[in-house]
Amino acid sequence: MYRTAVRPALVAGEKDYRQVTRDITGPAERRPARWWYIAMGFATMALVFGLWAIFMTIYKGLGTWGLNNSIGWGWDIINFVWWIGIGHAGTAFSIFLIVFRAKWASSINRAAEAMTIFAVLNAALFPALHLGRIWLVFFIAPYPNTRGPLWVNFNSPLLWDFLAITTYLLLSLTLWYFGMIPDLATMRDRATSKVRKAVYGFFSMGWVGSVRNWIRYEALAKILGGLAAPLVVSVHTIVALDFAVSVIPGWHTTILPPYFFVGAIFSGFAMVLTIMILIRKAYSLTDFITEAHLDSICRVLIFGSMVIGLAYMTEIFIAWYSGSEYEFFTFFKSRVTGKYTSAFWIMVVCNAIIPQLLWSQKIRRSLKAMFIISVIINLGMWYERFVIIISSLAQDYLPSSWVSYSPTAVDIGIYIGTFGIFATGMLLFIRYIPIIAISEVKSLARKGKCATKTAAE
Amino acid sequence: MKQKEIIAVFDNDEDLVSAIRKLLENKIRIRDAYTPFPVHDVLRLLGRETRLPYFAVIAGAVNIIAALGFLYWVAVIDYPLNFGGKPAFTLPAFVVITYLLTILLTFLITSLLFQVRTGLYPGKEPEEVMEGSTDDKFILALGSNIDMNEKDRSMADSILRECGATDIIERERDNEKK
Repeated sequence: MYRTAVRPALVAGEKDYRQVTRDITGPAERRPARWWYIAMGFATMALVFGLWAIFMTIYKGLGTWGLNNSIGWGWDIINFVWWIGIGHAGTAFSIFLIVFRAKWASSINRAAEAMTIFAVLNAALFPALHLGRIWLVFFIAPYPNTRGPLWVNFNSPLLWDFLAITTYLLLSLTLWYFGMIPDLATMRDRATSKVRKAVYGFFSMGWVGSVRNWIRYEALAKILGGLAAPLVVSVHTIVALDFAVSVIPGWHTTILPPYFFVGAIFSGFAMVLTIMILIRKAYSLTDFITEAHLDSICRVLIFGSMVIGLAYMTEIFIAWYSGSEYEFFTFFKSRVTGKYTSAFWIMVVCNAIIPQLLWSQKIRRSLKAMFIISVIINLGMWYERFVIIISSLAQDYLPSSWVSYSPTAVDIGIYIGTFGIFATGMLLFIRYIPIIAISEVKSLARKGKCATKTAAE
Repeated sequence: MKQKEIIAVFDNDEDLVSAIRKLLENKIRIRDAYTPFPVHDVLRLLGRETRLPYFAVIAGAVNIIAALGFLYWVAVIDYPLNFGGKPAFTLPAFVVITYLLTILLTFLITSLLFQVRTGLYPGKEPEEVMEGSTDDKFILALGSNIDMNEKDRSMADSILRECGATDIIERERDNEKK
């Protein structure tokens, strides 16, 4: 697809293989710059704040959160859904690359997958803490126990969710790690210090790049990619079922699964754009993450934004068309107008309207504009989950149980703490692991040469 | 037992592929090739195949049955619960669990199989590192269990040179240690 004279080369700058290796391994071999230490300092501070909040939650109990009898799902579930949505991008990129063979994904894939892993880890933290007694979290695993053995409820979407996230996390980790082995071997062979050689050597599994290695490796990549492809769709679908299977107005709709899925891809790609712009800037990897790459992400964002906008309109239409007065109330008297109107319109503007600016090529060329839009999208996606969860719970069937909701310092602390986990994780990743899949990019650099040759002929 | 073998180093994959083609035409045995990225022509020419995808399909099929069987055993045989008189075996609700368990078990089994078949595991010492094969060199190792005779060796040598090998090393390889 990319071997045409029309599309720009995927790896710019006519590099030979050695130079590709040197450019990409560079950031993981040099001492980090000062911004890295500063960023790490802030990330650690966020992490410590989060640890305090988690400690308070476990030590004192869920009373430290802003939840009450009507609003049983607050910031915890909002942030859970938000993080897991962001976590979708990495695997989506792997699927683009392995299943659809969209070669442009190869230079972004590794970082996107790292992002997925830390985001899903963050997401998994919230339901576990929400249990209140986190030390009993293992009760959800179906194992022969002394309580009957009373099995878990296999008909419950909450259990499906547990299994979906566990599977997703393990599969993403495997896909990420196995995808890294040839590059870790490169790092091992380039290492000068004994410690580095030993550590990279340990993790590179004795990789030598022989035919025997490669042929099975490629087969494995295809199998793992093929297995991960349905998971990308299913994880957020199952999260949506947590809501859709209930009888709360505003949740009990059939549009929720596809709507959540597109939202997940949308927010994930927005986060990838944010991070790729930062990494590209910090390490000047402009030859590998070219303008064409960012442009491609933006196109996916436009598509996502339109589907999301359509979903918002459909929901509102169905609320009226269904004739259910409770649905009508939630959408028209609580969201479009009413108590949560500001959150609702922030959501619409951030997700459905502002991303339409990306139609303009001028904006797709401006790093600043793209960066701002990508952050706005993730803000909007957070508000979307806020609107769905809080507005439905705060004002449901019985006006006598209507309440307001506001988060406490502990709620906010855990949320900031997850940013700490995410940022420290990503910073360590860019410090020690080649950010871009070197072996993938090398085969692209080769194709690039052939492409220019044929174009010239 | 020590054996002589020839190591040829190439700077790009096209030269490597043409060298392999010519060597195969002249029936010279190639032990292995080491490349920084998968070169599909090399994989095809050396005729190595993997049965990993078949194993994965079989594992998947077994896992679907195992997962459904487990759910049936739990819900119907071991601890049937009465949900307002509804049937104990609720197949539509079991689809999700079956699907997830199938993916989970299949990928775990396949990635383990990959490690078993390639003999790779964390902490393994690489058997032989070909210098530059993880960077920018494409390396061909000739020679197999039978020692190459003089005629073959000189022919291989000329083919390799002709195809643009930047370096040709003759060395002894300890075959016992594997």
